[in-house]
Amino acid sequence: MLELPEGIKKRIHELQELSDKDQDDDQGARQELRRRLAQEGPEVVARCSDSARSYRRLLAKRSSGGSPLVQEAISERARRMALELAGENPTPLVLLLSERVASLWVLVELQEALLAAWYFKAEGASPGFVLQMARLQESCNRRYLGAIKALAQVQKLQGPYRVQVNIGGNQVNVSC
Amino acid sequence: MAWERRGDGVYYYKTERQGGRVRKRYIGNGELAHIIAHADKTRRRVWAERKAKERAELDEARSLASAGGELYEAVEVLAVAELVAAGYHRHKGGEWRMRRRA
Repeated sequence: MLELPEGIKKRIHELQELSDKDQDDDQGARQELRRRLAQEGPEVVARCSDSARSYRRLLAKRSSGGSPLVQEAISERARRMALELAGENPTPLVLLLSERVASLWVLVELQEALLAAWYFKAEGASPGFVLQMARLQESCNRRYLGAIKALAQVQKLQGPYRVQVNIGGNQVNVSC
Repeated sequence: MAWERRGDGVYYYKTERQGGRVRKRYIGNGELAHIIAHADKTRRRVWAERKAKERAELDEARSLASAGGELYEAVEVLAVAELVAAGYHRHKGGEWRMRRRA
């Protein structure tokens, strides 16, 4: 399951606080962080080193406009989306896939918000800038849809009921 | 747009593009010329500030999008890995099919 037990969540939260201290140039926080990580179990280390989640946190921070509530809400929404996308009893690879799809969703949301913010700015934006931002947004959207398609294909072919039939010499996969 | 020396005086000129050609327009050196020069300077400064802001915003959006590109590449690799691990193969490089059992 994607959902972590409360104990592990708490330990990750403590490590996150230590990491924040380290970013504030707190002497000794890095050493303490290393020591704690070396003692932690594989679930905690795996979750902390998950680049898709880190990327998502970064995007959520950027989209939030400095509001911790919005930042946490975006992260939580993406986490729930990843959970929902992974479905029941997902394989480790499907888990990684769904995490990445959720991260791409946050990216698309951020690009849309950035573009909209520039549209409505009082001084306006130059047409060249809006065009380039729109291209970036389009490319992110394409990747997001491509990622959804890849996940859907995997889940369809991995569906509970798969039948292969030969019709006129053609092999056809049917999943229900 | 610049102040140019002509003889003993300094005069303000505006450079403009008209139909693909660059033309220099005489403004003068009186009080009005100074007001116009000041307005031009302010306009150029505002334009440069806006450009710098847009450039910074675009750079950030590009770096985020590029990380998104790497995520997408990972999705493609993971999807293929999952299907291959489940016993599928690409039939003639297209449709995914389950390998026939011997």
